[in-house]
Order: sequence, then structure tokens, then C-alpha cells
Amino acid sequence: MAIGRQRAKEHVAGSPNGNITSQSEQGAQAAQSKQTGPDTTMLPTNPRTGEPLAPRAQPGYYPGFSTLRQQAFWDEATRNVVLERVQHTPPIRFFSPEEAQLMESVCARILPQDDRDEAHIIPIVCRIDERLYAGRIDGYRYEDMPPDGEAHRLGLRAIEAIAQHLYGVAFVELGPGEQERVLATIHDGEPPAAEDIWQRMSVSRYWMLLVQDCIEAYYSHPYAWDEIGFGGPAYPRGYVRLENGLPESWEVNERRYEWRAPSWAISGEYQPMGGGDTAATPGQEGTH
Amino acid sequence: MAVKALIPAVEDLSETLLDARLRWKRLAERKARMVESGGLARDIERDVQIVEEYIREGRFQRSLSLIAGISALLGGLEVTYEHYQGSYSQRIMYSPLVASAGVAVAACWGVFDRRVARTALPIASLVLLGDGVTGFIFHIRGVARKPGGWSLPVTNVTMGPPLFAPLLLGTGGFLGLIASLLRREDDPLPSGLPGLWEAATAWFDKPPDEFSAHRRSGSAQAEWSRIRRRIREGRFQRILAGATAVSALLNGMEALYSHYKNNYRYRVQWLPILLSPVIAAAGLGAIWNRTIAETLLPATSLAAAISGLVGLYYHLRGTLRRPGGLKLPVYNIIYGPPAFAPLLYSSTGFLGLLASLLRRGD
Amino acid sequence: MMKKPVLGRMGSGLRTPKPHEHMLGPIQKISQPMRRFDPGEEVDYVIVGVGAAGGVLLQRLARAGFRVVGFDAGPFWDTERDWVSDEAGSYNLYWNDLRVTGGSDPLAFGANNSGKGVGGGTVHWAGFTPRFHPSDFRVYSEDGVGADWPISYEDVKPYYELMEREIPVSGPAYYPWGDPHGYPYGPHPLGGVGDALVKGCTKLGIGVVAGGPVAITAGSHGDRPHCIYRGFCIQGCKVGAKQSTLISHVPDAIRHGAEIRDRCMVSRILLGSDGLVTGVRYFDANGQEHEQRAKVVLVCGYSIETPRLLLNSACSGFEQGLANSSGLVGKFLMAQAGNVVLGRFADLVRMYKAPPAHALTEEFYETDPKRDFARGFAIQTVGPLPIAFAKQMMTAKGAWGWGLRQVMMDYNHWAAFGFLGEILPWEDNRVELADETDQYGLRVAKITFSLHDNDKKLVAFGVNKTMEVMRAAGAEEVVQEPRYAHLIGGARMGNDPRSSVVDSFGRTHDIPNLILCDGSIFPTQGSANPGLTIQALAARTADYLISEGEAVRSRHTQTIIRPPIRYHLSPASTAGRGVPRLRSLRPRPTIGAGGLAPGSKG
Ligand SMILES: Cc1cc2nc3c(=O)[nH]c(=O)nc-3n(C[C@H](O)[C@H](O)[C@H](O)COP(=O)(O)OP(=O)(O)OC[C@H]3O[C@@H](n4cnc5c(N)ncnc54)[C@H](O)[C@@H]3O)c2cc1C
Ligand code: SF4
Repeated sequence: MAIGRQRAKEHVAGSPNGNITSQSEQGAQAAQSKQTGPDTTMLPTNPRTGEPLAPRAQPGYYPGFSTLRQQAFWDEATRNVVLERVQHTPPIRFFSPEEAQLMESVCARILPQDDRDEAHIIPIVCRIDERLYAGRIDGYRYEDMPPDGEAHRLGLRAIEAIAQHLYGVAFVELGPGEQERVLATIHDGEPPAAEDIWQRMSVSRYWMLLVQDCIEAYYSHPYAWDEIGFGGPAYPRGYVRLENGLPESWEVNERRYEWRAPSWAISGEYQPMGGGDTAATPGQEGTH
Repeated sequence: MAVKALIPAVEDLSETLLDARLRWKRLAERKARMVESGGLARDIERDVQIVEEYIREGRFQRSLSLIAGISALLGGLEVTYEHYQGSYSQRIMYSPLVASAGVAVAACWGVFDRRVARTALPIASLVLLGDGVTGFIFHIRGVARKPGGWSLPVTNVTMGPPLFAPLLLGTGGFLGLIASLLRREDDPLPSGLPGLWEAATAWFDKPPDEFSAHRRSGSAQAEWSRIRRRIREGRFQRILAGATAVSALLNGMEALYSHYKNNYRYRVQWLPILLSPVIAAAGLGAIWNRTIAETLLPATSLAAAISGLVGLYYHLRGTLRRPGGLKLPVYNIIYGPPAFAPLLYSSTGFLGLLASLLRRGD
Repeated sequence: MMKKPVLGRMGSGLRTPKPHEHMLGPIQKISQPMRRFDPGEEVDYVIVGVGAAGGVLLQRLARAGFRVVGFDAGPFWDTERDWVSDEAGSYNLYWNDLRVTGGSDPLAFGANNSGKGVGGGTVHWAGFTPRFHPSDFRVYSEDGVGADWPISYEDVKPYYELMEREIPVSGPAYYPWGDPHGYPYGPHPLGGVGDALVKGCTKLGIGVVAGGPVAITAGSHGDRPHCIYRGFCIQGCKVGAKQSTLISHVPDAIRHGAEIRDRCMVSRILLGSDGLVTGVRYFDANGQEHEQRAKVVLVCGYSIETPRLLLNSACSGFEQGLANSSGLVGKFLMAQAGNVVLGRFADLVRMYKAPPAHALTEEFYETDPKRDFARGFAIQTVGPLPIAFAKQMMTAKGAWGWGLRQVMMDYNHWAAFGFLGEILPWEDNRVELADETDQYGLRVAKITFSLHDNDKKLVAFGVNKTMEVMRAAGAEEVVQEPRYAHLIGGARMGNDPRSSVVDSFGRTHDIPNLILCDGSIFPTQGSANPGLTIQALAARTADYLISEGEAVRSRHTQTIIRPPIRYHLSPASTAGRGVPRLRSLRPRPTIGAGGLAPGSKG
């Protein structure tokens, strides 16, 4: 099913969310909000009241839980690696400034962090840049893919081309809803533009590369662990309470709150990648 | 020979190999005859009393022996699967199985057989006691050798070798030892036992100095021997009260860290933890204070015995409710709530009850 | 920021190792200096790759008194300094050099497949150690698909028993499937995922075992502590509870005079004019090229690197690759279908606790004539950490953006099962050389992998069954991610030199003193994780080599069929540990020697 194209079309014809404000206007709004305070349209909302939820230092259902606060219980090698990750932001060396800017706005949609306060944003692009600059790969390349760095460059070009094709505006100028729609076409395996690029690389594999790189940056950060209630490093101190989801004495119990993605977002609903053929996109992680 | 010297009052009973019950019967008959004939029954009265004390102590001996045997058995069963959790990764981990089986057999057999109670029981008990202390040391070392060692006491004591379990097992040995020191109604006179045992029991019979005046006034011989018996029983009573306290504390510690694993999900899990210090206090108090020995100790002990049974219920229920339930019987017994631990708690209660039934020196 | 340990002094309580100490866990260390052979000296054995198989061989041969040098392309890990308790930080454990992957169902490598460094794949394996079933050794005779092994279960069985003690393997006292047996170490406690598997299986009346079999200590083992249930097995067990040959066999090898040259990439096997191999050429850590002469060369580089090395060693006489007269080097590559089935529960699970590997069912292992496919599958527990889980949500649910953030906040509500399905050996699934080269200028491997009809049916059925179990366990939402696990094959064993590369001991049919011993020599793979069998076969090959002695260089035909089992070659810490166990419920086979002919039933 050509969900992506459909989604994009729907929007051009008239926003599915009844949100017809000019895209660039919305983008400007978002940009402006950086100075004047949080732009509430960017925020997830309380589904019952529809009220936006104010950005937090720590989103998620484990308020007060901090893995970093447990660092005295970690071994030295692990502590060094994790603290380095938290304290050190590598400079951009692989991407050009324009690419980096585009990549920033792409990653801000792949892993949006508008619900985090400024001080607790997890850097993503610089991590990807660091990996590509160092030439670190995962040990393989798909036959139908160029090397990772090249794939990222090509992907950015394609994203830009799709934005131009659908909206006639640069991706970074688009509002978040439109940006999501551009990306969704790739997620759905139906990019409406940049045919030449997709000749050179597989759409779904590029999507996986992009999302996985973002995931690795975000979910390797202690802030993300606190958000999802993961215990973090666990050596030499292991776990005592293994069953029934019981918290350790230093963990906290779940305290859920309801939230929903902002109204312009389509990434809040789950659609299968590549139009549903999951067999074509096998997972790449080691588990057993 | 100490024993012989200590029991001059029954010297007139020449059938030294007869057991106390027989002696009691004969004495009773003699007493009846004397009363019939209107003769002086005072001496006989005294003899009857002594023999009755014998029977009483003998009963305690048997009860204590039984408690020692049962707690060794329960402890042994518990250690069997606890050590299975540790895979018997060292040969010495088999030793408490053998040692507790030894006490269990010796003590239960000793209930019926005097010889076993006098020979095998003390030896087996000493071995178990020694094994408990050795195990304690090994468990301390085991915690130290876990990653983080003693710097992570909460984690490593909870997940490491249970620190106090060996001592708890050792108390079985201790009780066995005490049981083997108590006299039995079927003890022959003279005992004919090796000097070691007599030396060990001698302390129980040795009255404190302030009684020496009594002793010298030959007039109140009967009175004197009664006092001495009281002293003897009182000492046992104190020792048992102390053992109850120690065993309650160890049990409480075990419950504390094994229930910690479960985050005290059920409020009833606090019961043994909160009860233990109270029993321990009662047990310790009973050593010095008679009122406590007669009120608080039996009350808390009874509570312990009952709470052990409650625990047994919950533990069995917990085992059945585990994923797989009866389909994985062995696994769920090993990793479900330990079935024998609450029974061990009950046996502490029974010990306390027994202690409070013993008469005191004061 | 820092919180003080309760009742403890500041700090994690770990002793800081002294500069010269090579730590292999919090307590275990290599205490004496390693032997170094003269560069020009000819040694008895060179082992290429000190992984699952290489580690065992190195230890055996060193203990038997041979002069052995082990090469590994990766580092000789110091577990305290090099490993971290962190997902992203464990990148270096994997073979991350370039490979090109294709076919209609291309395999992922890196973190999903091979290790690099002493210990190889055992450094980052989950540690599931089930045995193969007797039927796995005669798949062709029984089901008319795949291939038969030149040996039977009975040939490997004593080595299973031996390795289960050496590793040691923890598991139930009675393991009901295949050849029923018990394990020397007791089972582990269940974590949340294991609870779900046991619950689901029990509800559906499917047999299940809890607490193993896993290569993780339930109880201390010499200087290796009991598992601390921290769930980082796949990131390398810093505790030293999960076995890797690095900590179970390599220390004993070093003690007995073996040398390990780490960070040394073997680039070519050298062939002499007499048709025997004479040694290897390798690049050291600085990129310098050297040669090492040896009487015998053992290649244990696993299913990609072993064929690649043979292909890269092509020379006159062996233009298609060394020992490749059959043309089968690199062919019949297999991977198991390793789909991950994920279920969301209303209650918390916290699947990051406990080792990922701790419960499984092999109820569907054997061929069932009622199904429309041959062979079967297993269902196991897995415990993805956040990064892996997020990627699974991406593939299984199509999550990204806000949806990804939202489902990740429910991380602690999810449990994951690993499906493990047998994929049959197909000739077109293969390793070849790509035109691209790596940092040493060596041509990289190009892997082609596609599922065939039987495989697809098996996966569809098995994944459905696994999802059913997840639902029965109480999951409200169940999704799955297709995936492949465990490389096998690429240089299969057999009796016929035309249809196989090596004999049952790994000796190449073409060159008597070139021996392959690792996952690549398996003709089929069953649906059991391969690590135990790889190690068991390595111990068997070691016994064979020791029995053969010098003769291994001269004789082309094998005469020793069942070498005596050398129990005394076990590492020092093996004896006197564990529980007495159920050894066998099957009668001894009536067939005399190994080497079952195809078609015979054992
Ligand atoms: C995430 C994950 C989980 C797993 N879980 C399990 C599990 O639970 N149970 C199980 O049984 N298996 C599991 N496996 C698979 C298991 O790890 C492998 O099957 C096993 O390690 C293979 O053993 P091997 O001896 O054949 O090769 P390896 O152990 O991979 O050893 C090969 C070694 O050779 C070296 N090498 C290769 N080529 C060269 C060269 N040219 N020069 C020098 N050195 C070289 C490599 O550096 C490596 O160290 C898992 C694998 C992964 C990725
Ligand atoms: S769960 Fe156990 S085996 Fe796995 S890494 Fe932790 S300590 Fe090691």
C-alpha cells in the first residue's frame, strides 16, 4: 500500500489534521520559539485535556530515577565510557555544515526531543558524524547499498529532493508535520522523488540505517535510560529482584502518565516499514 | 565418678541397671506398703521425688532431641537445594548434608535409644556445629569473592551464599549437644560412660558457691538434692532460652534478606522479620528474668510456631503459583519460596516453648 | 551526583588491577608470563583464530605438550580494562571489518555474528548450550533433506559430557529432549522473560525447561564467580560467569606453554612443494607482514573467515582456493532463523535483568510428519537491551519519531522470545570473495543467502507458534522481527572428498596437515545453538590429533576412527565440581565404530 504517497497527497490536498498553516510559517514559528520559549504546538499533549505537556528534564514514567547517580557502583572502564559520552560532544567533521543542518532537522523528527528541556537534549547528529568520520561500520555492507557515509549523504540529498518535490520548500524550512510526511515516504518505501538515488541504494535499508544510527545515539545515553527505566551499567553490582518487574532498592517504580504525540505528527501511529513486507527488512542486532 | 558421687540419695536402689520408670514403680509400691504399715515414708518420698525428676528431665531430653533432629532434618533439606542453587561447585558443599543427616538420624534414634543419645548424638552434633561454623566462614568468604565483595553488602549478601544459614544449621547441632547432656530416665547408675561426657555434664551439676552452706548442713539432704536438680534444670532452661534467641535472630536475618529479594511484596513477609527480634529479646530476657521466661517467651514462641505454619502455607502457595506450577516441580521447589525455611522458624518456636516449660533455678 | 553505597565504602569495591596483571574477571588473572617462540622456529601447531573451537584446541594441544601458537585478528582481552557494561561501548567485541552481504535474504554480521579477539564468538554469545539431537546427525536419512554427518551422536556424546563439565553448563537435572540427560551445574533462577516463556508454554501444554542449559555458572567455579544476573551477556561478561574460551580454556593453555599472538591477522596459508602446508603468513598489530612455520595448520576462523582464508590462499595446484578440489569451500553456508517475538504485558517485566538465555523449549525440534516441512525449531528467552530493543521496535512495529519514543517508554513492559529455526544447507548460500579489499589489502568476503521453500514454511509456522506462546503468557500485543542467527557451514565434513571439504575430524581431504575446526565444518545445524557442539568437536579433534601425532603429516587416509578420550586434558579447574548427574537414558549403540554410512539408522 502506498501509504507514504497517500499521506503526502492527503496533506497537499488539505491537511489531514486540519492544519493548513503555511509550512514555512510553521517552521518560522518553531525557529522563533527557540528564543521566546517552548512552542506549544511542538509538544506532546495530554489526551484527556488536549493540553500540551510542558518540557521536562526527564520525560518518562520513572520520575527521580537516575542511572548516573549510580555511577559509584559501576566499574571504572564502564564509568569512563559512559561519562565520556555524556560530557563530550564531538565536533562535526564528516558532514558539511549544510548537511549537518539538514541532518539535525531530520534527526529531530526521527527521534523528536521537544518534550525534553534544553539542558537534557541528547545529541544525535554529532554521534553519527563521529562514527562516519572514523569510518566505523557494523561489519558489513548490503550488496545493494553504498558505504555508510555515502549512503547518508545520498539519503540527505534524497530527503531534500522529496521535500522540494512535495512542498517546493527546503526540508529545514518545513513545519514538523510536513517534515514527518517527507520522511514517512521513505519509511513506507514509496519515496516520490530522487529516483536516481534510489537506483543506487535500497530505500528500506537506507531508512534502517538512518533510524538505527539515531537509536544508537539516543538510547546509549543515560538520560534515555532514565526515561525508559533501564537500570544502566550493572557491574560489579548486579540485580537482586529478577521477577515480576520489581524494582531494585535503587530503582523506582513506574508512575505512568498519559500522553499523545503532537497533533501534526503521523509518527505517533505505527505503520509497518516498506509497506508491510517485514521479511525484506530483517533485524540486524545480535540477541541469541 | 562424678555422677555416682552426685546421687547418693538413690544409693539404696541397688538395681543400678534398672531404668527410672521401673525404679519409680518399685518405689511407689514400697511407699504404698510403708504408708499401709504406717512407717516412715519420708525417705521414700524423697526417692520418689528424685526419680520423678529423672523422668521429667528424661522427657525433656527426648523432646529436645526430637527438636534437634527435626531442625537438622529441615535444615538439611533446605541446604540440599540451597547448595544445588550453587551447583555444589565445591566438594565441601556436600558436608552439611552429611552432617545434618547425621544429627537427624542420631537425634531421632536417640529419642528411643539411650546409647545413641549418649554416643552418636554428641559426636554428630559436634560435627554439625563445627560444620556450621566452617560454613559461616566459607559464606563470609563467598560474599567477599562476589564481584564488589563486601563493598556491596546488600546485593552480595542477598544474592551470595546466605550468611547465617550455616549457623542456623549449626544450632541444630548445638541442640543435639545439649540433648545429649541431659539425663535420661533410663540412664544406668553408675553411668559407665567415658569420662568426657561426665566432665561435660559436671558443670550442670556443680552448684554455685552460695549453696555450699546448704550442702554442708547434712540435715537437709533431701532439700539439697532438690535444689541441685533445680539448678541443673535451670541451667538447661537458660541455655535453651539463649538458643531460642540466637536461632530466632538467625531465622529473622534469613527472612530479611530472602524476602528482600521479593521487595516484601506481601505484607505478611514482614511477620518473621518483625517477630524475630521480639522472640530474641524474650529468649535473652528469659535467661535473667523469670517473669519473661514464664510469660513473654512462651507467648512469642507460640507466635513463632504459628507464624512458621502460616509461612509454610504462603510458601507452598507461592511455589504452586510460580510459572509452570506443578509442571516444573523440582525447579519451582528450588526457586520458589523455600518450603522448609518457615518450618525451621516453627521449630525455633517449639524450642522456645520447651525452654519455658523447664523449671528454673530461681 | 554520586550516591554512596549503602553500608559500604565509596567505590564499586573492585580491586584496581596492578599494571602488569592480565585480568580475566574480578578475580581470575593470568599470572605468569606467556611463552614466546622464536620467530624463525617451526612450531608443531598453528591455530588461526582462538575462538570457541580454537580456544579448546589451543588448551588441549598445549596441555598435551605440543608447541602451539594461536593467532587471533583481535585483541587478547583484559576483561577488567577492555570490556564495559554498556551496549554501545561493546562495539569492539565484534568482527566489524567489511563483508558484503547479499541474496534475497541477506544476513547481517557484526554484532549479529562473529567475534574478533581471543574467545571469538564466545565472548559475546548468549551462552545457550543445548546439545544437538541424535536426529541432527542423519537429517538426510531421516527426512530426505540436507545431509548426513559422517559421525553419529554417539561419537560426540562423550565430548558433550566433557565440555559441559569444562564450561561448565548449568541446567536442569533432567533435560527431556533429544538424548535426555542432566547438567553438572544447577539451573538458574528465572527472570521476567523466562517467567513468560514458562507460563505461555505451560498454558499450551508445551514442555519447557527453566534455568538452562546455559554456559553460565550457577555457583562459583574456581576463580569464576556465580552469575550476578545483570543481563549483559552479549556485551561480554565482565563477571566471568558466562563462559568464553578466553576464561575457561585459554588460561590453562598459557599455563602449559601456548603462545597467543593477538591482533595478528593471518592472510594466507602457505603450501609447500610436497603438497603439505608449511605455515602461515600474517600481519601483526603494526601491519608488518611475517611468516610462522608449523608442522600442522588448524583453521578456526568460523564460517566466513575460514572459507575466506582458504579462498584467499589460492595458489598453483589450488587455483580455486586451498583444499578446494571439491569446489565446496564456502558453499552450504547456513544460519538459523532467529526471529525475535516481542510481547507487551500489562505488568512490568524489566527484561534487562537476568541473563538473556535462561529458559527454552525444544518441543518442536524434530520433524513432524503432520506439518508440511522438514525439521523443526526451538523457542528461547532473549533479553534485548534498549538499543537492540529500539531497533526491534523499528523493524517489528515500524516505529520511528514520536511512536518510537512512546513505545520505548514501555520498554519495561515487553518480553522477548527468540525463535530458532533450522534452515537447511543449500549450495547457493555461500561465501565468495568480493573485489573489494580490507585494510590489509585482502579481498573481503561476499556472502549470498536466500531462504528456500522448506525454510520459509518452517519459519512461518514456528514464528506463529512462538507468538501463540507469547499470547498464552498474557501478552496484550505481540509483534515479531525476522532475523538470522548463528552461522554454520561453509566447509562441510563428509566421507566423500567430492562432496565435502573435510573429514569428521576436520582434516581436509586435499591436504593432510591442514585441519579446519570450527562452525564451518557442520553439514547441518539443527535448531540448537551451535556453540557447545563446536567446542565438543574441537575437543574430539584434539584427541584425534594427539593420537595421530606425527602421522598427521603423512597419512592421507584416516585410520583412527574413535580416538581415546583424554579426560586428563581438561583444564585444571574441572575436577571435583558440580552435581552427580544423569548420564544417559539411551542404550549404548550397537554399531561398532563411528562413520555411519548414509541410510543406516543408529
Ligand atoms: C549475539 C550472539 C549470540 C549468540 N548466542 C549463542 C548462544 O547462545 N549459543 C551458541 O551456541 N552460540 C551462540 N552464538 C554463536 C556463537 O558465538 C558462534 O557459533 C561460535 O562462537 C563460533 O565458534 P567458532 O570457533 O567457529 O568461531 P569464533 O568463536 O567466532 O572464533 C573465530 C576467531 O577467529 C578469529 N579469526 C578469524 N579469521 C582470522 C584470521 N584470518 N586471522 C586471525 N584470526 C582470525 C576471529 O577473530 C575469532 O576470534 C551467538 C552469536 C551471536 C553473535
Ligand atoms: S547475566 Fe550473568 S552471565 Fe550474563 S553478563 Fe551478567 S553475570 Fe555474566
